[in-house]
Amino acid sequence: MNNPGKYLWSFLGATALMMALAVLLNFVVDPLQLFRPARLFAAMYSTDSRMQNAGLIQSQDFDTVFMGTSLAIHFRQSEIDRALGVRALKLAMTGSNSKEQSFVLAAALQRHPKRVIWQMDDWIFREAPDVDNDVYLPADLYRRNARGIAGYLFSGATARESLWILARSIPPLQPVVARLTNGVLFKFPIAGVDDINALRSDFDVPGFYNAKNAMAAFKRIADPRRGHHLAEGFDYAAMVRRFEHDAIDLIAKNPDVTFDIYFAPYSILQFVAMRDASPKTLKIAYDFSAYAFPRLAQLPNVRLHDFRAVKEITHDLGSYGDVVHHSPAIDLKVLSMLADKKYLIDRAAPLATLDQLKAQVEAYRVEQ
Amino acid sequence: MLFNSYPFIFLFLPVALAGYFLSSRLGHLAPVIWLALASLVFYSVSNWQFVALLIASIAFNYLIGWLLISGRLRPAPRRAVLTAGVAGDLAVLGYFKYAGFLAANLDAMFSAGFALNVLLPVGISFYTFTQIAFLVDAYRGNVARYALPHYALFVTYFPHLIAGPILHHRDMIPQFERAESQRPDPHLILCGLIIFGIGLFKKTCLADGIQPLVSLAFGPATPTFDQAWLGALAYTFQLYFDFSGYSDMAIGISLMFGIFLPLNFNSPYKAQNIIDFWRRWHMTLSQFLRDYLYIPLGGNRRGPILRYVNLLITMVLGGLWHGAAWTFVIWGALHGAYLCVNHAWNRFGPGVAPRFTPLANVAAFMLTFLCVVVAWVFFRADSLPAAISLLSKMADPTNIAFGRLEIAQGAFIAVYAAIAWFAPNTQTIMGYDHQNRTVGQGLRAWQMRPLFIYATAAVLAFGILGIQQHSEFIYFRF
Repeated sequence: MNNPGKYLWSFLGATALMMALAVLLNFVVDPLQLFRPARLFAAMYSTDSRMQNAGLIQSQDFDTVFMGTSLAIHFRQSEIDRALGVRALKLAMTGSNSKEQSFVLAAALQRHPKRVIWQMDDWIFREAPDVDNDVYLPADLYRRNARGIAGYLFSGATARESLWILARSIPPLQPVVARLTNGVLFKFPIAGVDDINALRSDFDVPGFYNAKNAMAAFKRIADPRRGHHLAEGFDYAAMVRRFEHDAIDLIAKNPDVTFDIYFAPYSILQFVAMRDASPKTLKIAYDFSAYAFPRLAQLPNVRLHDFRAVKEITHDLGSYGDVVHHSPAIDLKVLSMLADKKYLIDRAAPLATLDQLKAQVEAYRVEQ
Repeated sequence: MLFNSYPFIFLFLPVALAGYFLSSRLGHLAPVIWLALASLVFYSVSNWQFVALLIASIAFNYLIGWLLISGRLRPAPRRAVLTAGVAGDLAVLGYFKYAGFLAANLDAMFSAGFALNVLLPVGISFYTFTQIAFLVDAYRGNVARYALPHYALFVTYFPHLIAGPILHHRDMIPQFERAESQRPDPHLILCGLIIFGIGLFKKTCLADGIQPLVSLAFGPATPTFDQAWLGALAYTFQLYFDFSGYSDMAIGISLMFGIFLPLNFNSPYKAQNIIDFWRRWHMTLSQFLRDYLYIPLGGNRRGPILRYVNLLITMVLGGLWHGAAWTFVIWGALHGAYLCVNHAWNRFGPGVAPRFTPLANVAAFMLTFLCVVVAWVFFRADSLPAAISLLSKMADPTNIAFGRLEIAQGAFIAVYAAIAWFAPNTQTIMGYDHQNRTVGQGLRAWQMRPLFIYATAAVLAFGILGIQQHSEFIYFRF
């Protein structure tokens, strides 16, 4: 090159310009709807709820937040709205722990919802990395600080999604782009907020949720050689510590918000597996409930529901895909039970349902 | 510190470059000392607890080298000094890299309760091999006396310190001594930036982009036939773009300092036989193993049988160099076996009629690629049973998913295959000639150069925009 210095500056200038263009594109299209709800471009959503929730909290109108794990992931917001007469925002995250849930809830509570529906179980209170060391949760994006915003805007992955959403917003290209959007190359394949992580209409529900699958899962986890898997994360002292910090502190800091907390209807097989393969784990689960329920019952802004001893659900193995994950029909039953307050814990006798559960687990015999 | 990180690109590298060129005003030694210190800072950012080990290793090997070069020793003590030097290096490497593996195997055999968890210092395999080569050459009388700062820089030089290329002192130290290297050359800086950009793009956009598909085969779920192949192929391309991307970045960074690093990759998946593959894959390791292991073992000088034995030993040890696990041993042994078959075929196999040559070349290319993919299964798997389980899935076409998702994933992988098989490699694009110390000569006369500049600027821009928070290079763990 005759004038390499000139070309060097051209190269650096072009690099900076292209990065600036990508940042501008990301800001204008804003795939996560972090800065504004989508108006100019089609609103698209990702199944990666830990990332997507940061945008949903900013872009959606809601008066109720729905939090939980994979047990709450398939709920449809429209069904929650219909059953409970609210305007819900689902923020459930598969495999999430209480640190993640509490952090995301705290971000959502800054939008001043009236109510939180929180699906809990013992396992969310296991020890877990802090949110800043959690590789799956973009904590700074929730905080909306410079680091989080810069990471979002200075991102080729976001630019790719922005371009894709831009193309999808051009009417002649829309059908082709929609057909090519499959979640492999592009991470925002969902067009309706109600469809985020809901089961697709063509999902084979009876093929997945049936007694055969539930029993197969039971046999896997009840194998004595795998007893240590059942015990993973069950450390009573750590669970109590996390419960106090992640649940009680958050609830106490928001006295104007009603917390409907429900313990999900695991199949009876989950507890029976613990009984047979890891009795110590079962004891920790019981002890934790015995600690947590009275503690929650003390708080005036908490309504505690325990569905773990609802025999007509938990003993109907045909409604389960494994020992804990229930079918969409049970999702609707859960909503209906929340609306009816049918299994609301009596503040005067917070351990009554736990005693029922213990009796059911003790009595249950697995059909061979 | 990672090359694919904002602190490196926007802080460390500019400061290191500025300090290097500015310090040249203080004399020829100052830039060398500056760069060696910068390299130690680079290493200490994420490996501070092993900086002392690195410095001790340099001091130890420099001392042994000094004794070997000084000429004051008679043959027997010289040999003893060499033995002590190499043994010392291997003992340290052995402790940090293999003691845990040995303890685990002893425990498995005798149930003796042995357990040893030793943290592996990043880059130890690379800087140990580099220095063993130096000692052996010093013993052979092939080394001039080097100043300590030059030697320290040769070992610590940050573009190669963590994951190679494995450098040779005869190639590097004379370059550090050249005054011209210490003056900023806009042409070399531009070419270095472009090569760095291509490498960064390979890493952040290609390797990191395909990484999620690898879990199809190596994740917790049991894969079907097609998912197993998709996952194995995804890993095949992830590893290539990850490691060759790192090597490109190392070459590009070094070029900005006026230093030419050796090539480490030459489109290995275009190879038509395994011998050719190893001339194209991790080339500096292949050369090291050839010069300092295979040839000292006797190479091909002691007849065909011993040649095959030497090949197998070399490749098994090469496998073990990558990591202390039986999966790496099997991977090395498999490649050793491939090489033996390849040499035997060259010697005894039938010739191909000229009209069938293109067909034979395609078949050879496909067979070579297939063998490489199968071997990568051992390289990547967490254990031998996991590798065998995956291979059994890859050999069972009765269990197949082949849904919409698998088709999309297949198309995704086909794009990677097309790049690896048909696109020109970095050195071809840039006209990088390590031997003659030239680069980008073709660009000088090329009418399309503004377009080329903007296209490569886009590659660098997307490489930077593709940086993710938690993405190490695969070869860092070796």
